[in-house]
Amino acid sequence: MASHRPRGASLFAVALLLGAAALLSAPARSPGAASAAKAAKAAEPASIGSICEAQEWKAAHPGQALPAQFAEFDRPFPTLSACRSHDSAWDEDAPGPNQPIPFSHKHHAGEWGIECLYCHTGTDRSRAAGVPSVELCMGCHENFPAGYDQLEGIRLLKQYWQDGRSIPWVQIHRLPEHVKFQHQAHVRAGIACQDCHGAVEAMDKLYLVPDTKWWQYGLPAKKLEMGWCVMCHRDQGASQDCLTCHY
Amino acid sequence: MPELHRRNFLKLAGASAGATAAAGCSDHVEKLIPYVVQPEEITPGNPVIYASTCTECSVGCGLHVKTREGRPIKLEGNPQHPINAGRLCARAQASIERSFSPDRFHGPMQRDPASGALRPIGWDEALSQVAEALGRNPARAHLLGGDPGDSASRLLDRFAEATGLGGRTIYQPFSSEVLLAASERVFGVRSEPLFNIEAADLVLDFGAEMLDTGPSPVEHQRQWAAARDIAAKPGGGARLVYAGARLSLTASSSDEWLPIRPGSEGMLALALARVAIESGAGGALGLGLLNGPLAAAGVPAAAKSCGIPAADITRLGRALAQAGAAVALPPGAAVTSRRAIDANAAVLLLNQVIGAIGTRVQIPVPERSARSRASFQSLLELVQSMQEGRVDLLLVHDSNPAYSLPKALGFESALSRVGMLVCFASAANETTALADLVLPTPAPLEAWGDVRPRPGLRGLVQPTLRPLHNTRHLGDALLGIGRALGEQAQAQLPGGDFLAWLKQQWSGADWRAALQRGGIYESPRPAALRFDGSNIAAIEPDLTGSGNLTLLAFPHSLLGDGSGAALPLLQEIPDPITAVAWESWAEISLSTAERLGVELGDVLRVTTSAGSVELAAFPRGGIRDDVIAIPTGQGHSQGHFASKAGQGLAGTPRGVNVVDLLPPLVDHGSGGFAWLIENAEVARTGRHRRLPLAQWSDNKRGRQLGEAVTLGALAAGAKADGADGHGDHGAKANGHGGHGDGHGAVHEIREPYNPADDAADAQYRDTFHERGEAVAKESPYRWGMTVDLDRCTGCSACIAACYVENNIPRVGEDESRLVRQMAWLRIDRWVGEGEATLETGRVHPARSRERLGQVDIRNSPMMCQQCGAAPCEPVCPVIATYHNEEGLNAMVYNRCIGTRYCANNCPYKVRRFNYFDHQLTKWPEPMELALNPDVTVRGQGVMEKCTFCVQRIQSARQNAAARGENIADGEVQTACQQTCPANAIHFGNLRDENSEVSQQADSPRGYHALHVLNTRPAVTYLAKVRRGEVKS
Repeated sequence: MASHRPRGASLFAVALLLGAAALLSAPARSPGAASAAKAAKAAEPASIGSICEAQEWKAAHPGQALPAQFAEFDRPFPTLSACRSHDSAWDEDAPGPNQPIPFSHKHHAGEWGIECLYCHTGTDRSRAAGVPSVELCMGCHENFPAGYDQLEGIRLLKQYWQDGRSIPWVQIHRLPEHVKFQHQAHVRAGIACQDCHGAVEAMDKLYLVPDTKWWQYGLPAKKLEMGWCVMCHRDQGASQDCLTCHY
Repeated sequence: MPELHRRNFLKLAGASAGATAAAGCSDHVEKLIPYVVQPEEITPGNPVIYASTCTECSVGCGLHVKTREGRPIKLEGNPQHPINAGRLCARAQASIERSFSPDRFHGPMQRDPASGALRPIGWDEALSQVAEALGRNPARAHLLGGDPGDSASRLLDRFAEATGLGGRTIYQPFSSEVLLAASERVFGVRSEPLFNIEAADLVLDFGAEMLDTGPSPVEHQRQWAAARDIAAKPGGGARLVYAGARLSLTASSSDEWLPIRPGSEGMLALALARVAIESGAGGALGLGLLNGPLAAAGVPAAAKSCGIPAADITRLGRALAQAGAAVALPPGAAVTSRRAIDANAAVLLLNQVIGAIGTRVQIPVPERSARSRASFQSLLELVQSMQEGRVDLLLVHDSNPAYSLPKALGFESALSRVGMLVCFASAANETTALADLVLPTPAPLEAWGDVRPRPGLRGLVQPTLRPLHNTRHLGDALLGIGRALGEQAQAQLPGGDFLAWLKQQWSGADWRAALQRGGIYESPRPAALRFDGSNIAAIEPDLTGSGNLTLLAFPHSLLGDGSGAALPLLQEIPDPITAVAWESWAEISLSTAERLGVELGDVLRVTTSAGSVELAAFPRGGIRDDVIAIPTGQGHSQGHFASKAGQGLAGTPRGVNVVDLLPPLVDHGSGGFAWLIENAEVARTGRHRRLPLAQWSDNKRGRQLGEAVTLGALAAGAKADGADGHGDHGAKANGHGGHGDGHGAVHEIREPYNPADDAADAQYRDTFHERGEAVAKESPYRWGMTVDLDRCTGCSACIAACYVENNIPRVGEDESRLVRQMAWLRIDRWVGEGEATLETGRVHPARSRERLGQVDIRNSPMMCQQCGAAPCEPVCPVIATYHNEEGLNAMVYNRCIGTRYCANNCPYKVRRFNYFDHQLTKWPEPMELALNPDVTVRGQGVMEKCTFCVQRIQSARQNAAARGENIADGEVQTACQQTCPANAIHFGNLRDENSEVSQQADSPRGYHALHVLNTRPAVTYLAKVRRGEVKS
C-alpha cells in the first residue's frame, strides 16, 4: 500500500503537523503521563482512595509496602493492568468514540488472549460477526472477586445485566450503504481479523485505524470504502463481480 | 410520520442487530422451539425458521416462518404439511403484512361519549368494565365471531358456560354450511367432503373454483398439476371441465368450459348422472336412481336451464361413465342460491354414481370445530333479538360483521339498541369503528393458537414476533374478564393463561414434537355412509329482483371475504383475470356492454332490491350475456389501505361492497347465506373511471409469448425428431408451425442451451463494453429458469412471494393508475384462440378476445429473462447493468443514475423505475419492519428488476463453500419457485446437464419468449398443452 502514498504525502504531512501541535498544547492526560504524575507524589500517598490507586502506587514503588492506613485498598484485584485498561478505554484523547462501557480490547484479546471468536460468535458462521450478549460478558464477570466492582466498566456491566438492558455499543467498523458483507466468507478464505480491523488486540479503545481506510488517494476517509475492498479482492484473486457484494 | 432512512434500515438489518437480538429475544428463545436448525442461540445474520400454521383462511396450511433477529421476514410453506406440501398461496404470502399493519391498535381503546372518538384506556379498567357489564345480566350478553382457532374456540365455550352467557354465534362469510347439510342429506353424515384431484382422470368443477377460492386451493393446484403432468402422462393426464357463468381462474385452466347459467349446477349434475347411468355407470344403485330422483332429470330440460347444448351434456355424461376416475366438485360460494343444498346434494349424488365416493371423495368422521358450527341462521336470530332490545352486551371477535353482513339485514341499526359493543380485534375495521370498547388482540404471527382444519389434522400456531403493541390474546382477555366476575365464574374457568389452556388441549400429544413439525398430521378416518338419493331434486335457483342481469357476487381471488383488503400487497397484485388492482369492477359481456353503450371503465349503476352501487364496467368475452359479476372484498370505509384513508380521504370507501346489493336471504335447506339471489338492474351513469390496470390487451399478436401446443402436435413432433430440418437447433423442435397460434406446434422453438453460446454472448457484449477478464472467467454456474405454462394457473402466489422476498414497493392506487407498478414478476394472461389479429395502431385498451364457452388462456409469468445478449446492457451509460460470469443480468442499484434507457430497451418490459422513495417515505409505520434485510431497499431514481433472487444464490454459495463444494442442484430456490403451488417454476444451473432445470429446459415444449429478437434468455418457457375438449 505504501506505493500509493506519494499523492497524499503532503496532505499527510500537514495532518501530522497539526496533530503534533494539538498534542503539545493539550494538558498531559494520557495514561502514562497520569501514572508518572502520581509516581512523583508517591512519597506521601495521602490520596489513595481505591484499589487501582493502590496498585499504581505499588507499581511506582517496587518493593515498598503500602502504608497501613490504606490497608483496605491493598488487594490483588482488580489487577494493575485491568485498572489501566479501564482508564485508557475512556481516555478522551485517544482516537475513536467513547463506548458506554470502558471496555478494553487490548486487555481482553491482547493480555488475556481471548480468541476474537469467543465473543464475536457469528464470525465464522454468519454474515454478521455479532456483538456478544450481556449474558456472555457476565458469564466470566459474575465470578470475579468483589473488588472488581470498583471498576466503572464492571459496575456498569452489572447494572446493564440487572436492568436487563443491552449495551448500546457505538459501531466503529461501519460499512457504507448498499454493501452486503460476509464475515464467514472472509474468515474461511484465511483473512485475519486484523487485516481489516487493525491490531485490535493492542487497542484499549477501539478506533478505525488508517490501514482500514482507503489511502490510495491520500483522502482522509472516515469509513471503509469500496476501493479498499477491491484492492484486496484484486490482490487475492477474489471475485470482482459487482453482484458479489451489491444486491 | 417519522421517515425511515436507508441508514436506519441498514442499522436494523446489519451487525448492530446482534445486541437487539440478544436483548429483544431473550424471552423469545425461552418461548420458541426452533425447528429446522436448533441453534444454541440466534446467530445474528442467519435466519431461524419456525414451524407454524397459516390462519388467513380455513384451509390451515403449514407455515415455515423465516425470522431474522427475532423478526419474521418471509413465510414459506411447510414441506411436511400434508395439505400444502411446502407451497403457499398469495394470501398467505401477503399475510406477513398483517403484523406490521398501520391499522393495528396500540392498546385498549374506549369510545369517548363526548367526542365519539376512541381514546386509550388501561387493560385492567377495560376488562373490569366488560366484567361489570357482563355481570349485570349475563343472559343478555352474546358472543359473535368467526373461527378463533380450535383451542380458543373451546375456551370460548367454557367461558360462555362459566359466565352463563346468553349465547354464542359463529359466523363466517364463506362458510361450508350448505355442503355440510347436503352431505348429511345424501350420506347421513354432517361432514365436509375431502376431494383428491391427484387420483382423478376427469374433474368436473361446478363452480367450486378449486384452483382459486375453493375448498383447498393450494392442495388442489398441486394435485391438479400432478394429475396432468405431461412428462409422466403422454396422454395428457386428467381433464378439467368447468361449469360456470364466467371464465374464472379455474375455468381459464380448464380443458372445457360449460358456460352454464348460475344456479343451474344441480340440474346439470343430475342430467350428467342420468346420462352416466344410462352409459353404464353406477350399477344397480344407478338403475334405482333412474326411477327415483333422476326420473325427472332429463337432458333437454337441463340443457335449457343451463343454457348450453344438450349434446355437450350427453357427451360429458358418457365421458364420465367411461372415465376410470372421475370426480365432481360441488358449487362454491358465488353460486350458493336459495336452492343451493339441492345443487350440492346433486353433485354428491353424481360422485356416488361415478364411483368417486370413498376414493377421490372422502367423507371423514367429523370432528367438532368452530367452522362446522358456523350458522347464518343463528346470526339472523341474534340480529332479531338485538333489534328487540334483548341484547345488552355484544362481544365480537375474529369477524367484521359491520362490513361483511348485508346492509339490508340492519345489523348497524340493531347495534344501536345494544348497550355495549366490545370488539376483540387486531386492527381497525368497520365494526371497531362502532365499538364502545376495543380490546386489541395480537397479530397471528405474535400469538399462540391452533387449528383443526379437517379431521385428523391439527396445526399449531406459534409466535415468531414479540408483540409490537399492548395486546392480549382473546383467550387471555376473556379469562381476565371471567376472573373479574367473581369466584363462581373463576372456579369454572381454567387456571393459568391461554398458553396453559392450549398446552392442556394438546396434553395427549408430544408438545415439543408437534411444535417442531407444526402440528399433528394424521389421515382422517372415513365415516360410515348411508347413501340416500331419495330426497334429491334440483330446481331453479329462485332469484329475486326485477333486473335482467343475474348478479354474480364472486369471491375475490386475493381479497377473499374482504379480510385481505387491509393488506396493501393483496390490493397491489392485479386480479389474475382482469388485471384490475385497488378497485372494484363489474364484469359484463361484450354484447351487454354494447347494449348499454359502455366501454371499459365507464361507470355503471347496479341496482337490486337491497341497494345500489356505482362501479366501473369491465366488458369481456368470457362471461354470459345474462350475468353481471362483481367481486367481493372491497368497499371498506376503514383502514389505511382497505379504504382510501392512506390517500388522505379518511372514511371514503375503496371500491364497492357487493354484499350491500344482497338481501339477507338463505338457502332453504341449510340456512346458509344465499349469495346468488338477485337479478340486478344495470344502467350507465355517463361517467368514466380509469381503472388501475396491469394489462390492457389479451391479444399477443402473434408474438412468441404464452405459446401452446396441441396434444396431437406434441406427440407427432416427438416422433418427427428433427425431420423438419429447421436448422441445427431444430433437433427437438416439432416443426415451424406457422402462425396458426396454438393450433399447430410451438412455432418458434428455443435454441437449446449450449455453453459455447456464452462466449458468443460475451463477445456481443464486449462490442459495447470492455469488461476485461471478469466476464470471460469460467464459472461452474449458469443460472437458468424454466416456467411450465401447462402448470401455471395464474394464481399469483409467485408475485406475492417476489414482493415480500425482494422488498418491492407497493405503490398504491394512484401510482398504479399511472402504470408505475413495481412488480418484478407479473403474469401476462393471453387469449390464444383463433388467428392472431395484428391490430395496428395503439389500441388502448384492446377489446377482450375471450369467447363464450371457449378456453385457450395462457398464463405467462414474465420476469427478467436474464438474457445472454441483453438489450438493456449496452444502453446503460454507467454500466449499472451488466452481465456476470454466472449468466445473471446484474443490476447495481448504487451505480444507477436513473436514465431509464434500459427499461426502454427491454423488449419484455420487466424493468421497474423508482419514481419515489416508497418504502422510506410513503409506507406508514411500522411496515418497514417486514423488509428483508438481505435485499437492498432501492431509493428514488433507481431502476430495479428481477435478479433471480441473487441474495439466495449468495447465501447458498456460503453454505456450499462451508462444505467445500459447489452449490448443489435444488439448493437455491427462488421465492417464486418455492411458493408455486403447481410447481410450474424450476431454477438451477444450466451448466449441470443433470440438474432439474436442464432436464426441464430440454423439453420439446420449450421456447424462449420473443425468440426472434435473439436475446438468448436464461428463462425457458414450456408451452401449454391444449388437450382439447373431453371426448366420449
